Amino acid sequence: MSLVETMEIVLWAILGTIGVAVFGIFVGLLYKGIDRKLVAHMQARYGPPIRQPFWDMVKLFVKETVVPEHATPWLFNLAPIIALAASIATLLYLPIGGFQPILSGEGDLILVLYLLIIPSLAMVIGGFASGSPYATVGAQREMVLMMSYEFPLAITIITIAWQLKNTFADHPFSLATIFSQPVWGTVGIVGLLGFILLLLVLLLVTPGEISKMPFDAPEAETEIAGGLLVEYSGRNLGLFYLADAVKTVVMGSLIVAIFFPYNLSTILGIGGIMAPVVDVVFYFIKLLLVILFAVSLVRVAVARLKIDQIVYTYWIPLTLMSLIGLLLIMFDSTSLFHISLGW
Amino acid sequence: MNPFVPIDTGSGFWNPLIWVIVFIIALLIVYVIRGLGRGDYKKNTGQTKPFLSGNVVENDEQLHVKGGNVYWGFTEAFKGYYNKIKSMHTGDTRDYVLWFLVMMVVFFAVVLGVM
Repeated sequence: MSLVETMEIVLWAILGTIGVAVFGIFVGLLYKGIDRKLVAHMQARYGPPIRQPFWDMVKLFVKETVVPEHATPWLFNLAPIIALAASIATLLYLPIGGFQPILSGEGDLILVLYLLIIPSLAMVIGGFASGSPYATVGAQREMVLMMSYEFPLAITIITIAWQLKNTFADHPFSLATIFSQPVWGTVGIVGLLGFILLLLVLLLVTPGEISKMPFDAPEAETEIAGGLLVEYSGRNLGLFYLADAVKTVVMGSLIVAIFFPYNLSTILGIGGIMAPVVDVVFYFIKLLLVILFAVSLVRVAVARLKIDQIVYTYWIPLTLMSLIGLLLIMFDSTSLFHISLGW
Repeated sequence: MNPFVPIDTGSGFWNPLIWVIVFIIALLIVYVIRGLGRGDYKKNTGQTKPFLSGNVVENDEQLHVKGGNVYWGFTEAFKGYYNKIKSMHTGDTRDYVLWFLVMMVVFFAVVLGVM
């Protein structure tokens, strides 16, 4: 690799990070507003205007940022910064707006899985650093929640990579490979059922990843008064709010990239300058639908689960679902069970 | 060796240096955003007391949540399994040696069976 190529990658990474930060924060807050409006209508309420999350941010940033007396100040203040920075950095490795990832050659799906842990871990550290019993209980629950959803999530990701490894020889974990080769076209009917199960698992892992109903036991406002965020206020709480918004975009983009990487310009045969415009609009619609099914609908339909019920849900039914998905896709790869879809 | 070349195992790959650069830039951006907010508060006032839903706490030790509670969610969800495992822990060394032998037999049976 020459010096010019190296400088090009570094410059691309710097500009990409700035662009993705603006994109992730804006789109995250916008989808938060849409989610709140949709949920309100489902519950026969008017709900706040879609721009409300932007006003919430302004409000939080003009309020005092209190550091409680029992807190460890430097850790308490650092945790929200790490959470938002890690969420922004993760977006760089994902295909957004219908385009290849900005850092497609610099990291793969395994890296994304590890990066997804950092914001949750930062919240745990922030909770423990708060010096509050509510925050400590919330942080402990967040740790248990993380250990719960990682298992079915890992099985799902490994299965997809295994299938791509069978179909294409190189780099099955590469998001560029996954984005350019939709998984649905690589299997027969049995494998299709397997991928539908894996999609359901990933849709149910999403509310856990972003601590939304019914998996929001770490925050549980009515029970532990906001849990690990109970002592956070002002700009620190604002940063956690932004991290949550960006992580929602991350999870939505991940599901879109793995299961719905199709571009409308390719399907309709649109070329020229209109192609990227159509693809960006189509990406936003896909992202909205994923967030609607994985976050909005689930949190309206189901009440909060207790932490032991969350562990059970992720470790037994969802892990079994992902294992059945894995088995179906493995069976599909044998000639005995492979029934072609004719795609 | 160019440190900007990604580490590649054949299946997975990543470039740690690029990640560090990206993460530092993201940290700087977040630090700038944080700087837009208000940083002051009233120190040593009731504002800095931890929120306890109005409960009176006589000493700080009562605020402590034991580390042993961390895995409560797991132990409660799988209490049937944990109760069985606990009852197996008799504290008698002969029982542990017996378990070791049984597990070794199972292990060799599996390994030899596969081979």
